[in-house]
Amino acid sequence: MISLRSVLWLCARYELVLAVRSRWLQMFAVVFAGLALAVASAGYILSGGHGVQDFSRTAVSLVQVVLLLVPLASLVFGGLALTPDRGAAELLYSQPVPRGAILIGRMLGVWLALAAAELIGFGIAGLVVQSQAGLDGLSRYGALVITAVVITGVFLAIAALLASLNPGRRTRVLAAALVVWFVTVVLFDVAVLGIASMLRSGSASRLLISATLINPVDAARTGALLAIEGTAAFGAASLALLRFTGGAAMAAAYVGLSLAAWMVLPLWLAARTLSRADI
Amino acid sequence: MIRYRAFTKAYGGRRAVDGLTLEVPAGSVVALLGPNGSGKTTSIKAAAGLVRPDSGEVVLGAEHLNALDARARRACSFLPQRVSFPETLTGREVVDFYRRIRHVPGDATDRVLKFASLNGAGERAVGTYSGGMVQRLGLAVATLGTTDVLLLDEPTAALDPEGLGAFYRLVDARRQAGGTVFFSSHQLGDIERLADRVAVIVAGRLVAEFTGRQLAARLADRGVMRVRVDAPTAGLLERVRALCPEAAWRGDELIVPGPASMRPGVLDLVREAGGDIRGLTAEEGRLDAFYRELIGAPS
Repeated sequence: MISLRSVLWLCARYELVLAVRSRWLQMFAVVFAGLALAVASAGYILSGGHGVQDFSRTAVSLVQVVLLLVPLASLVFGGLALTPDRGAAELLYSQPVPRGAILIGRMLGVWLALAAAELIGFGIAGLVVQSQAGLDGLSRYGALVITAVVITGVFLAIAALLASLNPGRRTRVLAAALVVWFVTVVLFDVAVLGIASMLRSGSASRLLISATLINPVDAARTGALLAIEGTAAFGAASLALLRFTGGAAMAAAYVGLSLAAWMVLPLWLAARTLSRADI
Repeated sequence: MIRYRAFTKAYGGRRAVDGLTLEVPAGSVVALLGPNGSGKTTSIKAAAGLVRPDSGEVVLGAEHLNALDARARRACSFLPQRVSFPETLTGREVVDFYRRIRHVPGDATDRVLKFASLNGAGERAVGTYSGGMVQRLGLAVATLGTTDVLLLDEPTAALDPEGLGAFYRLVDARRQAGGTVFFSSHQLGDIERLADRVAVIVAGRLVAEFTGRQLAARLADRGVMRVRVDAPTAGLLERVRALCPEAAWRGDELIVPGPASMRPGVLDLVREAGGDIRGLTAEEGRLDAFYRELIGAPS
């Protein structure tokens, strides 16, 4: 009998091969590299300067791009990859291995593929930055890369949950993925700030702190800014979290826990749902 | 062995299968026959552990394992009705993946590709395959390993002649090895050619079940003999009706429905009555007509 670790590795490798041969992933790698390069080389334009920014400025400028693009790519690519056609799903899930292991293994494969595409994008932009502006702030740039890879895992876990709730129904999974992206990336902050503005100071603070930890995009933004710029670039919600936790180290720990929970819980729920689903 | 005990499954309030009780004995080849939407696919998928019963149970293998148990899935191979594979993988990569998942030795890949007549196409991407080749690739995957139970959902629906040959060889080989094969099909020829037993399911309910011998007898009962007789004598029809009450004249033809065993006696009666036999045709009962009768469809 094949071991669980072998199933995970086998499915991850299977999915990695599929992803590497996918035009969607190749396009994502090109777009990501192009955007990173554009941000790195155009960062001074707004301040009237020219030339390539250093790693620190490039990292700060890329935070928003990463938090906008990476969740969308992860949800869409993950949704497509983790929702096989009905005939493929029936054959795959009739094999004598746990369905959850197949799903998690495939998710790991997609994660590896997307992370590789992101690393290529960051790498190309990084080479240009290094050649023009030196190595200053490289660790901050590295923190952004880690944030991108982590947020990829979080949204792939959510995509896995959506796929397990709708086995064989790609259109539904894609529609749900777009809704999740819109809510977490766009709507959530607007709604929270709107509600907070109507509450008293204490309640508003509690809401903002919860919001930062509840929404993985906000948690990742807080974590990335904390690693790149310290607390200088914090917004209202992140500052509220900082006050609540009593310092940057505890705030980072809370953010890390939130992101870890966002990765583990959806994946656990996905495996559980799929194991009980009719295929 | 596969045993359905009062297996019931509904989708959105509509019962796809309603209290199915059926046994597929070990070492037998059993065909599941029924019109579209009758519950064949749901029944076979339940045996493959893909569908959870609302009530009742499905057990399989010598150990009578619940079909939902992962150990039961080790005892069976399943080929879905419309099997599909990622288009960018080669046939060999697909077979290799499933071979590893089933923990089957490496030489099986070449063996099953050859068996499915895909040994020349194994290095090509699945996206370049015809529908028949994809179905043959599915058959190749289903033949990996030596499972006790083979579950096939309309396996011949999209098969080309090469694939059909491979499918017949597969079923014959499993039968010889003492394996159990349970398949659904609309191809009545496949059923007559392969099945030891036939189960007919309509609107989710089992309406008939026959062994191969019983089916042959039922079909024989539905045969008909036509005897063209010159100068028929009076009273011949009454004498023939003593043997076959449904016999009738149609012009100069004496129509005698019924089993083949009755026919020599009828011919003797015609001769004894001085009838001059000018022509004779005999037609065996057709499975399609019998099937339409069973499912209540107009013939």
